[in-house]
Amino acid sequence: MSRLALSLVLIIGAAVLSSGCASLGVKPWQRDLLSRQDMQLNGNASDDAIDDHLYFSKEASSGGRSFAGGGCGCN
Amino acid sequence: MQLKREEGGVRRRLIAASCALLSASTGRGEEVPNSGIERALNDWSLDSALAYYHEDGRVQVIEPVVSVSKAYGDGASVGLNLTFDALSGASPNGASPSRMPQTFASPSGKSFAGGKHTYTTAPGDLPEDPHYSDLRAALGADWTLPLERLLTASFGAKISYEDDFYSGSADASIARDFNQKNTTVSLGISYEADSLHPIGGTPVPLSNYALFEKTGNQSKDGAGLLLSLTQVMSRNWLSEVNLSLDRFSGYLNDPYKIISVIDAGGDVRGYVYENRPDSRTRRSVYLDNRVAWERSSAGLSLRYMTDDWGIHSETAQLHLQWWTAERDKYVQPTLRWYRQSAANFYTPWLFDFTTPELSSASSDSRLAALQALTYGLKYGIKLRDKLGRESSEFNVRIEYYQQTQENGLPGPGALRGLDLYPDLKAILVQIGFSY
Repeated sequence: MSRLALSLVLIIGAAVLSSGCASLGVKPWQRDLLSRQDMQLNGNASDDAIDDHLYFSKEASSGGRSFAGGGCGCN
Repeated sequence: MQLKREEGGVRRRLIAASCALLSASTGRGEEVPNSGIERALNDWSLDSALAYYHEDGRVQVIEPVVSVSKAYGDGASVGLNLTFDALSGASPNGASPSRMPQTFASPSGKSFAGGKHTYTTAPGDLPEDPHYSDLRAALGADWTLPLERLLTASFGAKISYEDDFYSGSADASIARDFNQKNTTVSLGISYEADSLHPIGGTPVPLSNYALFEKTGNQSKDGAGLLLSLTQVMSRNWLSEVNLSLDRFSGYLNDPYKIISVIDAGGDVRGYVYENRPDSRTRRSVYLDNRVAWERSSAGLSLRYMTDDWGIHSETAQLHLQWWTAERDKYVQPTLRWYRQSAANFYTPWLFDFTTPELSSASSDSRLAALQALTYGLKYGIKLRDKLGRESSEFNVRIEYYQQTQENGLPGPGALRGLDLYPDLKAILVQIGFSY
């Protein structure tokens, strides 16, 4: 992805989010699907930790979902 | 006397009360065995996994992970996690393959004279230290604390120990809900301090490998910033976007990596230790989307990352999940695609021992242009307690990872025709249990 494309995505995304957030969303009683484990952003913590460690030790990028520090001498 | 009578009365009442308590607890015990243990388990949740990672012809790792957490009624939670890694096998030392046998010294070696501190790579093979091993133990803790109805603070800390690497980190975040808790904005900071104690000492950067010039311990530290926006888009769609910035400075080299020095004919003249810049700043944009249907869900995450070493990377990960009608079993396939450009100081070899303008150089393949694919499959079974409530889960996961280097320089002279950039193929098998 070029820097220009990234900038466009960010600008459009920020515009959509800032103008649209107030009209998005659900009422508290409509959260049945959202409360499911497979809809939790950190619902697979062990899998994520093991995968992050694997990718941290084999690739030059890490983090993004959370802080990028590795606490590991493997890279 | 009055006192003695009173003591006797108290004693009788205590005995009577004790008998009543014992009989009552015995009665409850008959109805619900181990109720104390069950109550404790109901308060805490446990997530554990045991992973086995095996690279084709290289290292293997056994990694158990255990985390326990407790959620309180007011939204607060605490958690502890413990990780062990036991790594062994062969690890590339950074040198290029050659038409001739190549002899290297282990990190603790002080000469190339034979013995247990040397190893020899056969012609055409990628040089790898066959005796690579490491043990790591890491302990982390986190604490989430509601400050007000819509304001939450989170804190985390982690320590990690290896023979040659100690690390400590801490982070703090604050999150604010808006729009009937459909929108959450959070801002976090982190700090990490690492101490490096390379086996055999820290090599002098870019020094001649044959001279065994080593110095003492090193350190590095880093700070990070993470801004996150989570938005409920609809009844079945959740979206998150994260912006992160971090900067590490200090000793960022891999002390065990060397670079081949070759001549124009592709013959090896020797080796030098690598050297990387002493700071690195990374920026990333991360987007995660989750969509749920009655018996299935999908997650798509995208990440773009760039740093001042000239590396740009893109990552896309898709996972799908299907449940049985009873919602007691699921299957989850995963596909991940990753691509990165090379660091601007990456080079597979050098042509001269002394290049005055050369300040940084590394042949570490992890800094090369590469592409990677991961195929994964997970199967989980929900287990129910005797009251029929969903209480625990057992799962098994398998992943296949393949990494291919891109745009590798063609080898000059004698290196022509050799597999200079072999693929990395690995498999991960994991079993997990959560309660």
